[in-house]
Amino acid sequence: MALSKIDVGNMLDDEIRRPNAKPLIINGNCAISQRSTSVTGITGGGYNTCDRWNLSISSAGTWTQTQESLTSGDAHADGFSKSLKMDNTTADGSLGSGDYNQITYKFEGQDLQLLKKGTANAEKVTVGFWIKATKTGTNILEFYDNTNTRQVSQSYTVSSADTWEYKVVNFPADTTGALTNDNAQQSVLVFWLGAGSNFSSGTLNTSWASSTNANRAVGQVNNSDSTSNNWEITGVQLEVGEYTSATIPPFQHESYGDSLARCQRYYFSDALYSSGGNTGLVEAFAPTNDNNYKHIFKQFPVPMRAAPTISNIDFREDTASSTDALSQLSADYVTTLTADLYGRDDDASESSYYHGADFSAEL
Amino acid sequence: MDIKLVKKVNHLGKDILGCYALTDTNDKIHHVPLDEDNTDYQEILQWVADGNTIQEAD
Repeated sequence: MALSKIDVGNMLDDEIRRPNAKPLIINGNCAISQRSTSVTGITGGGYNTCDRWNLSISSAGTWTQTQESLTSGDAHADGFSKSLKMDNTTADGSLGSGDYNQITYKFEGQDLQLLKKGTANAEKVTVGFWIKATKTGTNILEFYDNTNTRQVSQSYTVSSADTWEYKVVNFPADTTGALTNDNAQQSVLVFWLGAGSNFSSGTLNTSWASSTNANRAVGQVNNSDSTSNNWEITGVQLEVGEYTSATIPPFQHESYGDSLARCQRYYFSDALYSSGGNTGLVEAFAPTNDNNYKHIFKQFPVPMRAAPTISNIDFREDTASSTDALSQLSADYVTTLTADLYGRDDDASESSYYHGADFSAEL
Repeated sequence: MDIKLVKKVNHLGKDILGCYALTDTNDKIHHVPLDEDNTDYQEILQWVADGNTIQEAD
């Protein structure tokens, strides 16, 4: 067997330049999709399929978003088996001035303190990602500072239609404006898919500056202009420092379980019938103060970012397919760790119930 | 979240506010805790600041 020399110097160099133990972007490989693997008829913003990836859109066509399974192509060859795909189903070939279409990743301020933003030692940032788009031409990636309303944008080019391409985008350091060190959204990475003139009529701002909308997405092609258009990403990584496609550290693949747990800080579901379609759980009930009220004291799988909004609360008698549901469904005493879910059963005859709910503490 | 209406929900059996029941424009109900870090709670505060009124609990 031929032996290759191991370049220990470069290995150490990479370790030093990558001070974070885990990837800063959670679910950059699009492996986790707790809500759904496919959502159709999208015209408004929100979280749809792949966890942590938000769609922000205003009057820019209708879309289907899917978590795609990859079986071929250069992204698959690089180790990625899932992607987030946007498929245009109703075109908008002429975006209005205030219209936009973005896929965004929102950061807690406390997770980006290592960038030392707003100090003399501020760090440069590099974003690497795989993209496959029908629409070729100029696209914009933006790094936005919510704390200080500052931003910087860089362009990249999709060269070949419907072909996986790897892109590396560099952002300069910002010695102005520290990010608030808390659990709120203080920064966002914006993949533009379309931008009306309000966001594109100026000069692309490639150095950090106070945000001027007209300078944010200059030159962005309109991915909404044909129902033939698809737009797909995976393998998104954010690195501290300046790299090229040749020097960027390898994507940090996490185990499915580790990635899922990190996503559950922001959202999890054990819904019976909700859009997530997950399997319901059987739980005992514990009546309090009125035997007709059935309570589940729910402990979350991980501490959540904030006390979550609880949706799709459901209690069913006997079996998950039962149509005999409890009424007056509600949640109470919600914290970042636990919640009391309850409903009312007027005949009070059952001894156990299926229950489900969705829990969201998204940014 | 597109808010249609918001209603107070008291702790069961008590006259103390526990959370808000937010109905969105798709008539889906979300139970929003009184946590300033919760973005839906922040949206409710903004919705009220915009001149809307939260309904009293049943």
